[in-house]
Formats: sequence, structure tokens, C-alpha cells
Amino acid sequence: MSLSDAFGRPMSRRTLLQGAAGGSTLVAMTALLNACGGGQEPTSGATSTPSASQGKDTGAVLDEVTVGLPGSLSNLYPGVESGILNYYVAALTMEGLLSVDSAGKLQPALARKWTAKDPKTYVFSIRKDAKFTDGSPVKVSDILYSIKMARDAKVSPSSASYWGAVSSVRQTGPWEITFRLSAPNVSFDWVPTVADALWVAPEAFWKKHHGRIGTSSAMLIGSGPYKVTSFSPDSQAVFERTDTWWDGPPKVKKFTLQFISDENARLLARKSGDIDVALNVPLDQVDEWKGLADTQVISVPDRSWAGLMFNYTLPPFNDIHVRKAVAHSIDRQAIVDKLLHGLGQVATAMSTPEQFGGVYTPTEATKKLAAVPQYDFDMDKAKQELAQSSVPNGFSFDLTYPNTGPQLGKAALSLAQNLKSIGITMNVKEQSIEQWLSALNDAKAPVRYMWYFSTTGDPAELADYLLNSNPPNPVKYSNPKVSGLLDQAKGELDPHQRADQVIQAQVVAGADLPYLSLWWGQSSTAFARSIGVRNYTSFTLLSPWSDSLYSAT
Amino acid sequence: MTGHRTPVRGVALFMTRRLSGTLLLLVVISFLVFCLLYLEPGDIARNLLGTRQVTPQTLAEVRAQYHLEDPLPLQYWTWLTNAMHGDFGISVRTQDPVAHMITSRLGLTIEMVVISFVLAMVGGIPAGVWAAVRRNQVLDRAVVGSSVVFISAPAFALGLLLLYVFAQALGWFPVYGTGVGTFDRLWHLALPSLTLALGLGAFIVKITRAAVIHELEQDYVVFARARGLAARQTLALAMRNAAIPVLTSLGLAVAYLFGSTILVEATFSLPGLGSLLEDSVLFKDIPTVQALTLLVAAVIAVTALLVDLTYLLFDPRLRTQLVSR
Repeated sequence: MSLSDAFGRPMSRRTLLQGAAGGSTLVAMTALLNACGGGQEPTSGATSTPSASQGKDTGAVLDEVTVGLPGSLSNLYPGVESGILNYYVAALTMEGLLSVDSAGKLQPALARKWTAKDPKTYVFSIRKDAKFTDGSPVKVSDILYSIKMARDAKVSPSSASYWGAVSSVRQTGPWEITFRLSAPNVSFDWVPTVADALWVAPEAFWKKHHGRIGTSSAMLIGSGPYKVTSFSPDSQAVFERTDTWWDGPPKVKKFTLQFISDENARLLARKSGDIDVALNVPLDQVDEWKGLADTQVISVPDRSWAGLMFNYTLPPFNDIHVRKAVAHSIDRQAIVDKLLHGLGQVATAMSTPEQFGGVYTPTEATKKLAAVPQYDFDMDKAKQELAQSSVPNGFSFDLTYPNTGPQLGKAALSLAQNLKSIGITMNVKEQSIEQWLSALNDAKAPVRYMWYFSTTGDPAELADYLLNSNPPNPVKYSNPKVSGLLDQAKGELDPHQRADQVIQAQVVAGADLPYLSLWWGQSSTAFARSIGVRNYTSFTLLSPWSDSLYSAT
Repeated sequence: MTGHRTPVRGVALFMTRRLSGTLLLLVVISFLVFCLLYLEPGDIARNLLGTRQVTPQTLAEVRAQYHLEDPLPLQYWTWLTNAMHGDFGISVRTQDPVAHMITSRLGLTIEMVVISFVLAMVGGIPAGVWAAVRRNQVLDRAVVGSSVVFISAPAFALGLLLLYVFAQALGWFPVYGTGVGTFDRLWHLALPSLTLALGLGAFIVKITRAAVIHELEQDYVVFARARGLAARQTLALAMRNAAIPVLTSLGLAVAYLFGSTILVEATFSLPGLGSLLEDSVLFKDIPTVQALTLLVAAVIAVTALLVDLTYLLFDPRLRTQLVSR
């Protein structure tokens, strides 16, 4: 859930800003997106198992792994700064009630087990053996207070919205917590995870710092395998292994995270051996990174979605023929092949194939999602649609893209060129990520980009945000059947039924074309060959990811 | 008129006037910067929340927390009254107290600025004098030509060039980071400081050269030479007078250093005040930007005051003027 850049800079945001991702997340900073190919399988780099080129596990403990992050972090608490990098970093030391594994399935964390009595009631049994990294035991009261902080928009602006459906949270037993929701939501169990909206810290720690944690003067204290031993905002953070984690000591003794905002400097740092791992290698530099000695680059689908949002109520885009004319004018396969260098996949829907864990494999999900109506690149059809529209002689409009996503700009220019041939003038403008974000809810914008990184494995995460009319979606699209299916999915306990309802909602909406899906992205990570990684997927870094690394021959 | 003042009283009055003016200037600057940030495109709440789905209630709470719905004058007044009590607030972006953020980064930037300043002075002034004495000779032209290159080169480009040559190709210096311990810190700051110093030094070379040439053409130098004074003594005479325009440029040099440090810190991934200012401006983090701009403005103003006081040391005419006013 956060937004930030693809690189996760905080979006920053750095937030998106400085980065980007939350129940959703966003996008952001410099770039990284990649995507997949319509109906294609992920590229060869997209793998959930160790690449064949990786060495064998020597069994040795890694004394120190230095990771080069592409953006700077100013605060380590994702409730404040919610770039995707913040999530990755916090996952080393913080825990929620549940965690997510590399396959995208929820696993026990501070909760030993959990049950949904019904889609509105969730009961979590808390483990008794958990300790914070300062040695103090994790009590139910610490968890309840952390939830209170995560729900407080003043303390945790980035996570508060995700708790909106919770009507009450109470201790219902010595080691039991029960959530009651105001409306059914079978994907609620994603919320109390570090991949979404909960990071448990001691109650006394929260109170001592008046809720302002994650700063250099209030370094995070969690119950995970590492403790933060130093944090210099925008410079580096050091995490050292503790013996307090309930799951035993991990194999990496120490992580040094270097924030290197200049991509050329980061490349040089790997070249000189100063860093072992580089997260979110820029799309345009992947080949250079692959050419480095003793370095391998692994690209995996990152559950990001790039698409166009048509203003559904504003002329001329309230006309389906105009929307179809634009849709037929964009060559998505060429964009993936040429602009993204094949590191992506043409998106047929909003849900990404990787978000159907436990129900469909990405391959199966890709086939299912292909049922959503598609609009192939065909300039003749585009011309015909425009001729039938309310503006047969063409019109002009602006499209802005964030400076952190240059590939969005290139794709827009490609579209503009095609539109020009049928009489539509599209002015493409770059904006700072901050400016672009502020216009995200601009009701007067005819067409806007959306670049969204899902952090959960819930296939409805983005679809519900963009298609459900309650609350109103960004384009004011309203189709009772679509909203009905999405609402139905929220209460559907059978995961297969639910997945099909989410897909069906997108199939129905696809005929109305309120959004045009462009591509699903990929992220690339560089590893020194002395470091192996198991089961590397887009979920890996949202789990206690040190367990995935090993000393390789 | 009350007659002549003592030099001490004259200087005290001069300083009082200047400090009062500086204070007023800082208030005006703070208001202007506040207005510019207010008008800057972007929305703090959205910057915090990103593209995520946000409930109207959360959005309203965030906006209320930072007084974003208040009119501009009220927002400024709230900030000003807190600032006058020494409370520069909490950073919107990081939730850290602004004062703590600045003090934790101040050391790095000061170290870099001081090293750059010293390098630029030590290299630039002798080179300028040397070029002036050998005016129009080949070496003079080489010095002037190099100066033009370094003045014109953007700091980030120069920084990247130095990184590739000295850090990557030769491996003499690290490519990023701040170092631990005095020697390691100096080693890490060498390239960024050199980047800053080359631009500033080139500027100093040109100012010094022009000032010395001007003085060497004055009648008193001709007389000194006619009286048979040695070349070194003649140059010393000219140097004292040439020092005034060079000193004047030091105020500009400080402003230059603070401006360029933003680009240099970004290029070398250094967490100093420059990168903090850049990130804060982009985020519309008003409390941090306000404090930083005031700090920089105050440093430049104080530098200008010190430069003016130094004039008094170098130019007796100014002392007389000040005391008799």
C-alpha cells in the first residue's frame, strides 16, 4: 500500500513520492516499471524459484549484506512514509498479526492462527512467545495500541484508510483479538500485515514518542528478526540480527542499507563491490547491470498496473466511441516490447496474474483475465469509432505523466502520434510526481494516468478501488452490476468463487471501457553472485526476506 | 550634529542597523517563501497519501492536522508565532522535529562547504594573482580558459565526471557515502568538495585577476615602480587594494556554495542540508523549507555583515566615513 515510486522512493515518496505502494501503492519515483505481455507468460527473468545461474547454498552464515536502495528514506515507519522501499525495510524488523510468503499466501506471524467466523468477524490467536527486539515480551495491549496508532490518520496517514471498515477491535481472550467489520470483507486478513497496514511496536515506545516513530531519534522497535542499530535519514540504515525472534535467528547477521539516489553512483557502487544487492534497478539500466561482473539480475512481475483513466462523465470521454477510438490507437504490445524492453506484460485487466495465489497460478490467471474485453491496436477501427462519436472531426486534450515514470511519457507520446493521424490532438506533459499526484483526483481532467503498485495478494485490491462506485471511484464510473459483483466478492468465503466474481466484474466493466489497461510491470533486482536467493517473487521483500538469501558458491 | 563618534560606537551603530535590517529581511523572506510554497503545485495531503484509495475522513483529518484549510495569512501567522518561540515545528514528510533534522545534517554540509571554500581560496586567489601578473601570456590564457570551463560546467556534470574518473576508473575515492571517522570522512567528502571548489575557485580566479590587473594599472603602482620598489613590494601594495572586490565576492561565494550543494549532494548521494531542502521543497514540507531558507538567508546575511566589517580593516576611508556619519 503505498505509493511511491516504482522505485519505491518515497515517494517518496519520495510516497509515492518517494516511491510508491498499500493495500495499494503507488508509484513513483524514478522508474521502474515493467510489465508483461498480453497473454504472455512472464519473461524468463520472472521466476519464483532460484535462477538456474545461481550458485548452490554453501550453508554458511552471511556476515553482512549491503543493499543499495534507489531512493532515500526519511522515516522507517510505513504508516508515515509509504514508499515501497519503506515496506521492504520495515519488514526486516516489524511484524503484523500475519505475514505473507513468497507465493503470496498469508502465514502466521504474531498471530498463531486466525479464523473468519463470518466475513465481518475475524479472530486472531496471539502467540505467547514473541518478543520485541529490546527483549520485552509482545503483549496483547501492545498490539491493540499499535492498531490504534495505525488507524489514527494523524499518526499513520498512509495506513489509516485501510482500517475504515473496522467497527471494533477488542481483546476477547487472554491471547485473542477480535475484529468486527461494518461490512463484509473476506480480504480483511491482509490488513493486519506489514505488507499492508500494521506494524506492531511496544505501547510504551509509541507513547514515549507521541506516535512519531521511525525517525532517527525514535528508531523502530519491532518483534522481527533484526533490530535497527543506526539510521541516518537519506543516508543509511543498519539492521543487526537478534536472538529474540520467535522463528529463530536468520542466516544473515547484518544488513547495511545504503540509500543511493543517483543511479549512476549505485551502478558504480556495485561495480566496485561496495553493495551486494540493488533493489529496483531502473528499466533503462537493466542491460548495464546484467553486464557487470559477478552480478545477476532477476526480473519478476511486481503487481503494478499502468493504465489510462477516462473521465466517464466529462465530454467527449463520456462517449464510448471516443474511448474506443483511443483504445484502438495504442499499440500495447509494441510498448511492452520496445519501451519496456520486454520487462512487462500487456495488461488485460486491473488484477495482476500474481494476485490469485492459492486459486490460480499466474499462467491460469492470465488466461482467465483474457476474458476481459480487449481493444486491439487497429487504426482503421479507431477511425471508424471516432466517426461514430460526438466529435467526428477530432478534438484535443492533455495527458500528464509523473517525472518518475519516463516510460509512461514515452508510451503517451506513441499514443499521441497515432491519435494525430485520426484528428485527435493529445498534448503530453511531464509533471513532478508531487504535481501529478495532486491532480490525481482532478475532476476536470479528461484523461489521467494511473500507475499503481499493489502490495497485497488480493485480486480485488485495485479493481474495487477503480470500479466500485461506493465510495466513488476516480472516474465516477457507475455500473450497478459491476459494483454488485465486487460487493458480493467482499463477502464470498470461497476463494475460487471470489476470484471469478472479481474477474467477472472486470469483464462487465471492460465493455464500458472506463479504464484502459496498458501493462503489468516487472521489477529487477541485482544480486552479487556470492548471494543466492530462493523463491524470489514480488512478495519476497514484504516477508522476513533475509530467510530467502543464502551464501552461494 | 553631535560631533565625531568614537570608532567603537560607530561600528556598534552600524552593526545595530545592519542586524535590524537583517531581521526584517528574514521576516520578509519567510513570508515570500511561505507564499511560494503555498502557491507551488501539489498537495501535502496527497503527497502523504499517494495514489492510494483514501477515505474522505482520512483526507480531512490530514488536512486539518496541517491547517491546510486555513487561509494563507492565518497559516503564516501560525507558523510565525511558533517560530518566534523557537518552535520550527515537525516535518510533514518525516515526522521528525525540524530542528533535529537540520542539526543532524548541518555538520556534513558545513564540512563540505568549509573544505570547498578553503580549496577555492587557496587555489583561486594565487592563480588569479599569478594570471594577472602574467597578463596575456600563454599561462594567463590557460588559467582564464580553465576558469571559463569550470564556471560554465554544471556542478552535477562536473561531479559525475569526477566520480567516473577518480572513483570508478582510478578507484582513488569512494562513489557514495559519508565515511566514519575524520580521515574516512575527508576521503568521502574529497570529490564533492572538489566539485564545489572548482566552480567557486574559477569564479575567484576571475575576480582576483580582474582586481589585480586594475590595481596594477593605477598611478600609485607606477610611482612605486618609479621609486625603485621591488616587484614583490609593488605587488603587495596592489594586493591590499585588490582585496576589496575579492572580499565582496565572498558573500556571493557563500550563496553559491549553498546553491550548488543541492546538486552536489544529490550527485554524491550525501544526506546534507542541500538534499534535505530539495526533498522538502518537492514535498511542500513547509516547516522544513521555512527553517532551511531562513538558516541559509541568515548565514548569507551574517557573511555579508562580516565582509563589510572586514572592509573597515582594509580601507581606512570607510572607517573615517563611518565614524563621521
